[in-house]
Amino acid sequence: MAVVPTTRIYEGTRIPARCPTILDVDPAEHDLEDILTVNFGPNHPSTHGVLRLIVQLDGEHVAGIEAVIGYLHTGFEKTMEHKTYWKGITYPERIDYLSFQANELVFVLAIEKLLGLETPEKATWMRMCLSELNRIHSHLVWLGTSALEIGAISMFWYAFRERDMVLDLFEMVAGVRMHTRYFQVGGLAEDIPEGFYEQARDFARHMPRAVNDYEALLDRNKIWLERTKGIGLLSAADALALGQSGPMLRGSGVDWDLRKAEPYLAYDEVDFDVPVYPNGDVYDRYKVHMDEMRASARIVSQCLTRLEELRGQPWIADDRKVVLPPREELHTSMESLIHHFKIVTEGYLVPEGQVYVAVESARGECGCYLVSDGGPKPWRVKFRAPSFAALQATATCVRGTAIADLIAVAASLDPVMGDVDR
Amino acid sequence: MSPAGVPGVVERVEAHGETTLVVDPARVVEACTHLRDAEGYNVLVDLSGVDYLGWGAKQVAGYIGTPGGRDIHAPGSQGFERTPGEKETRFAVVYHLLRVSDDPARLRLEARLDDGDEIDSVIGVWPAADWYEREAYDLFGIVFRGHPYLVRILMPEDWEGHPLRKDYPLGGEPVRFSGEA
Amino acid sequence: MALGRRLPLVSDRPAAKAGLKSERILWPERGPGVFEQELEEIEDALMTTTVEKAIAWAQSGSMWPDTFGLACCAIEMMSIVSSRYDIARFGMERFSSSPRQADLLIISGRMTHKMAAPARQVYDQMLEPKWVIAMGACASSGGMFNNYTVLQGVDKIFPVDIHVPGCPPRPEALMEGIVRLHEKIRAGVPPAYEIRGVAE
Repeated sequence: MAVVPTTRIYEGTRIPARCPTILDVDPAEHDLEDILTVNFGPNHPSTHGVLRLIVQLDGEHVAGIEAVIGYLHTGFEKTMEHKTYWKGITYPERIDYLSFQANELVFVLAIEKLLGLETPEKATWMRMCLSELNRIHSHLVWLGTSALEIGAISMFWYAFRERDMVLDLFEMVAGVRMHTRYFQVGGLAEDIPEGFYEQARDFARHMPRAVNDYEALLDRNKIWLERTKGIGLLSAADALALGQSGPMLRGSGVDWDLRKAEPYLAYDEVDFDVPVYPNGDVYDRYKVHMDEMRASARIVSQCLTRLEELRGQPWIADDRKVVLPPREELHTSMESLIHHFKIVTEGYLVPEGQVYVAVESARGECGCYLVSDGGPKPWRVKFRAPSFAALQATATCVRGTAIADLIAVAASLDPVMGDVDR
Repeated sequence: MSPAGVPGVVERVEAHGETTLVVDPARVVEACTHLRDAEGYNVLVDLSGVDYLGWGAKQVAGYIGTPGGRDIHAPGSQGFERTPGEKETRFAVVYHLLRVSDDPARLRLEARLDDGDEIDSVIGVWPAADWYEREAYDLFGIVFRGHPYLVRILMPEDWEGHPLRKDYPLGGEPVRFSGEA
Repeated sequence: MALGRRLPLVSDRPAAKAGLKSERILWPERGPGVFEQELEEIEDALMTTTVEKAIAWAQSGSMWPDTFGLACCAIEMMSIVSSRYDIARFGMERFSSSPRQADLLIISGRMTHKMAAPARQVYDQMLEPKWVIAMGACASSGGMFNNYTVLQGVDKIFPVDIHVPGCPPRPEALMEGIVRLHEKIRAGVPPAYEIRGVAE
């Protein structure tokens, strides 16, 4: 099957001509005296965080739109230039705060690529397992909040019930529910606790049934279908031109998933499906999210099978110039003490060079562009945020919609403002 | 794949399994159009600026003292690369391209600029460049000719200065500890 | 709530009789902590009347928060509405998007300079009495971000009643903060803008 589909959702392009991210009011279609400019301010329940939309309305229909961002710009990239790599790992998690492991993973993979460091197999599989659990977590929060905004209020409680189960697993492994900081350069921070395998397996068995429950609530609900089918159309060509990735792209018919096309970690050794839907509307993106949750549960159970075989194996690489030595050794070995001291105070040095590493986070292609000057701190680290690209498609997707549909479209773009503003 | 026919390429670097083409900034739109149409790079994944001010400044590494002081954060004390080579220009605009097709490929383009230089916008080649170029302008001060709406995007509109430049301070406040006199 | 045994009331002072037992909900054998002792002293000093006590009970029993979720802490704030942690037990499940109908502003997440102006506008639109909880390290003090763009503590722009530490704080931690706020109100402590004053 071809990666880019041949059938078109609409002819031509709907990207606004003057400026791709600003929809201007077309005087031929709307009488300029009827236009009302409304501000969906940064504090609004339906904007997934602090997004400001300046909308020009003709009655109920959206005639013009402009998105204003930057209300959560935290200066991650500049702050990380001043922290050593080891300290810097706590920062990327908070960028995309719903799929936090993906950001951690991409930063750690970039450093390992520059160092040329091999991670043990157990670490690779555990990273994969946690990334998939994180994908489920992110989709659950997306489902709960988007359904809440569109009007299916009870979905919020169902989705957050499963989300708490995922967070229990994270807490068991890393001690913290969110922002676990479990991935280190070279592998994992700690060994996997014993009770994890059983509880994770129970969860992976329970998850597809939970997704069936959600679909039973939504999929044949007439109101849900009316509010999501045919809304927010984005063709494949426009999606590619706007730099989309992830569910936005797969909902428009493009069969592109980094886990299959450019496999990282051990994704080429597990068996899973990538959902692709052709219609490019909100309903198809919703279906992509649901099917991805099922696929992730499958990947998690395969990872657990492999991890149970690898019990007792090392969970972090042995390179003492980069990885902290185990604490017991500090009492007996002089070299370990010196290594520990140097790594903690000065930081390990990463050779000069620049790399770009991308992973498939829950929102799409999350990438890290890392420039190193040979020192212990990154010279420039730029995170390619999938939500930044997704929000650029707002002006294209809302052509011809009403206000209520604007909310549905903004929800389906799945923006996380920490990711957009960094 | 060999992008040998790409116009404007000054240098080609292969490292860590990635290809970087250094492009003459005056011919960036030509190069990008060729890459999109002839080579099929249909997605602009990322566009970022890099500031190389202070790259490779000669410092003494480690704990050895000098008349100018000592810097434990300078490179070279653990046996990796010594201080890196010089860069001729201050800024670089880096484009990451992706070919979404049955034969996927990635490419990096680098256009080197000095402070005050302008570069043409590639928004006509890939509309995705819109906000990325606004971000590079906001955080570095690099002006993109031909961009329809080049205003600040992440910082407030009336902010002065370009925060990600190396001579812009990190800011923040000094931390006060309890029990201080 | 039925525990099957009586919680030991260490003192018979009015605040304890009125139900002041936040730390003891989590740790039944523990005596009154610093927070509770201070509240009891304040209550003795303030000598609130029965009417004021009744008003305080009503205010704290149904305090409506404003949806001011900014970043990661907002996700944990949403999870206190979920069924496991259930803030509806305290009468607070109705998150109001309009600040004019809200009593409590939970600043959850990092506040940037660009966002400070809309945030202050939201605070000004709330009707008195109003309370503010700074949730998380970033709202309390700037957190791990000490840089050009993050406000180092949200109490630079408006007075805060309760700071909840954590990055992000567990839902139970946020609920502890909310419960302590309720107890402060019932003890008669006025909202922060009366104690510290608000800059214009």
